[in-house]
Amino acid sequence: MKTIKLFILLILLTGFYSCEKTTDPPLNDILSITVSNLYAPQSGGQGQPITGEFTKFEFATGQITTSETDWDIAFRGTSIIVNGGTSLGTIDEPNRTGQAAAYIENGTFVSVNEVDPTLLITDSDSGYAIATGSDNGWYNYSGGPSYLITPIPGKVLVFRTNDNFYAKMEILSYYENAPSDPDSSVHASRFYTFNYIYQPNGILTF
Amino acid sequence: MILNKNYFCIYFLIFFVNISFSQEKVNITLDTVSTNFLDQILVTATRTPRKSSALPFPVQIITESEIKSTNSLRLNDILNEQTGLITVSDFGGGEGIQMQGLDSQYTLILIDGAPVIGRLSGTLDLKRFSLGNIKQIDIVKGASSSLYGSAALAGVINIITNTPKDGFSGDLNYRAATHKTNDIGASLNYKKNKFGISTYINSLSSGGYNLTESEVLNTVEPFTNYTFSSKLTYDLSVNTDLYFSAKYYSQKQDYVASEILEGKSNIREWNTHLQLKHIYNNKLKIHFEFYATRYKANEFLDDNTNGIRFSEGFYDQLLLKPEIRTTYTFSSNSVFISGMGLKHETLDRSYFTLNPIFNSPYIFVQHDVKPNDNLNIIIGARFDSHSKYKSQLSPKIAFRHKLNNQLSVKGSLGYGFKAPDFRQLYFDFTNATIGYTVLGYNAVSTAIPILQEQGQIANIIVPVSEFEKNLNPESSIGINLGSDYYFNSKLKFEFNLFKNSIKNLIDTRVIANKTNGQNVFSYFNINEVYTQGLEFSMNWKPSNNFKLSTGYQLLYAFDKEAVNSFENGEVFARENPSSPSFELNKSDYFGLFNRSRHTANLKLYYKSINSNIDSNIRLTYRSKYGLLDGNGNGYLDSFDTFVNSYIIIDSAINKKLNKNYNIAIGVDNLLNFTDTQNISNISGRIIYTKLNIQF
Repeated sequence: MKTIKLFILLILLTGFYSCEKTTDPPLNDILSITVSNLYAPQSGGQGQPITGEFTKFEFATGQITTSETDWDIAFRGTSIIVNGGTSLGTIDEPNRTGQAAAYIENGTFVSVNEVDPTLLITDSDSGYAIATGSDNGWYNYSGGPSYLITPIPGKVLVFRTNDNFYAKMEILSYYENAPSDPDSSVHASRFYTFNYIYQPNGILTF
Repeated sequence: MILNKNYFCIYFLIFFVNISFSQEKVNITLDTVSTNFLDQILVTATRTPRKSSALPFPVQIITESEIKSTNSLRLNDILNEQTGLITVSDFGGGEGIQMQGLDSQYTLILIDGAPVIGRLSGTLDLKRFSLGNIKQIDIVKGASSSLYGSAALAGVINIITNTPKDGFSGDLNYRAATHKTNDIGASLNYKKNKFGISTYINSLSSGGYNLTESEVLNTVEPFTNYTFSSKLTYDLSVNTDLYFSAKYYSQKQDYVASEILEGKSNIREWNTHLQLKHIYNNKLKIHFEFYATRYKANEFLDDNTNGIRFSEGFYDQLLLKPEIRTTYTFSSNSVFISGMGLKHETLDRSYFTLNPIFNSPYIFVQHDVKPNDNLNIIIGARFDSHSKYKSQLSPKIAFRHKLNNQLSVKGSLGYGFKAPDFRQLYFDFTNATIGYTVLGYNAVSTAIPILQEQGQIANIIVPVSEFEKNLNPESSIGINLGSDYYFNSKLKFEFNLFKNSIKNLIDTRVIANKTNGQNVFSYFNINEVYTQGLEFSMNWKPSNNFKLSTGYQLLYAFDKEAVNSFENGEVFARENPSSPSFELNKSDYFGLFNRSRHTANLKLYYKSINSNIDSNIRLTYRSKYGLLDGNGNGYLDSFDTFVNSYIIIDSAINKKLNKNYNIAIGVDNLLNFTDTQNISNISGRIIYTKLNIQF
């Protein structure tokens, strides 16, 4: 994960707020991060049961983690799970220990700037918060002849983290090094590239 | 709305131009008008013989002489050259017709007035129909379910075959062309006194062709097909005619899926048509008809490494249709027809939950009146009852007003519907290699519980209870408003505006997720789409030697929900697949897939009477269109990849050597246009030569 780039935005508003309301504690900085090539392998599929460890991820650090409890979301193939609710019961699926939840909102990454907590749902034994399958959740599967997995444009994934903070995410690519002209027979798949913004102050706006 | 405004502006513009022209040339008489343009008789539009030039509907007729001079072999060849019609191939290789921007499944195809069956995935393959013994092809545009019932949403195409003529005659044809294509045909005709018979035999074989780089697979695999048809007429009395026709068609084609999977694909089809016509008196005429047809197709793939059968599929459809029709002529200005009949249909097909039987009795009436010399009004309606879906009432009204000898206006408003087909109701198919499932609407309530028991369902997206009601037929309201204008006896313009609004379009959606990560699909009524546009054609025949015709169609074909989504800013795209999304505007919506905004044709015919040569050059144009959504937002927008516009030029030279012998040479697709990625039915340049012997 050395390819992770970290950009920290300084919030100038903090200064203004502190002038007017001196009693409020200063806000933490919002994180705006691009994660490249997060690898989410799986075994099975094509009619066989899907197996393999999920790749767990934590928004606050921008890193993958092997912790059993301190993770927000996790990836396996095209499936994305959250650390909240209950397990769907697939093989090798981790137990949920936190408060994480999610929903998908239509919009551009910039236009989605507020969390609607009423829309947040957790994983359950009947399905994931981020629905699986082509055109149900975040991706479209083209079928033959190109067999491409493409993130659907205009789908912004909104998350509550394991410890009750919020993040929004736009998936950019499912192929290694996010090629601008992906070819499923050339580029390796299950490599996520995504942008996300993490709001570490527990408030609902980004 | 802007579009509509534009149409009306254009319409009124042309209207006024017409009027201003007509004011200058009011002294042109009707007599001269009819000299250069043959007035064809057409039965398809009203089920009574009517002059095509006096009908209130937009109609086109393809004559036998046009078929002969272009040396067209199959129905798709000739329809593709007509204004506003394009042939579109489906994934199974079938080539169907797109009329007024509506898919092939919404145009009814008839042979001598009887419906043809065998639409495997909705498309009726036009390549099945040889043009060898065709008298004319009638094309009626606009919803016509008021006479023909299901599937006549966009319009009707009726292939009229030759009837026996007095005496003994016959002809032999042989045509050899590129891709080892050989077409041999023979026809015999005999009629004496009361008895007449005509027979036609045709064989077409082709070596196929390949547009891909694959060494194993061909774009079109080699095939051979045979057509045999015969028609008997017998005049039982002065007032009673008997007519019987039969046709048999069979085709064998190689079926290759990969290097190791090879097999055959076969089609067999027959139809028989018995008709008794009795004229009671000069007012009342009755037709009794019985039509039966069967279409059988089967295909298999064998694994040639071990000889084991890999897959097999079959399709066996039967249609029986008795009908009684009366024509009552009150006066020459008022004709009333009525009819009733029954359609009995069965289908036995692989991947079906049951062998369905459809019974659909129907009744129709139509009144054709001329309140005065210049006005014609047609009102009609048909009621189709059905055993498996909601009954349908299809009304239609049309008018034609002759403003003067040069200018007429006409309009029609009609209802059209298409019954859900067997596949949309009873399909139960699971893809063996990928694992997705497709269920017909009526198959859902039984198939889903079985899949659940087997533990194949991860979660249900659409509850099974939603499939308790009947699936509704797709229906449309079609409006046509047009004008015919004879500038003089040699030059004629036709103009038509159309709009088809379709409700309850049947589409597929995901109804459940499977545990293997795939989905279960079923059919449902959802979309409302509309197609609108204008059609313009010009015919110029300055002399008996020379003829020029041109046609143009402007088409907008939209999904209403898509238009709303674009308006509400709910549709997004990316510059490339890995860049951030941005919002699209309404102007970015291109419309439905496989629709070109502009299509046009230009045809020149030249006949030299001295040297017995007739020749022609024909050009067809299709503007860019989209085949798939490349950027994943579900719609065709300006950031998707399009199929480029193209031009096809065909040319033929025919020479009559003497009374009995004709020869021809020609080139189809002179520019050798191909688009190997997107267009599988255009094989590149075809050079042919033809010999015809008449006796």
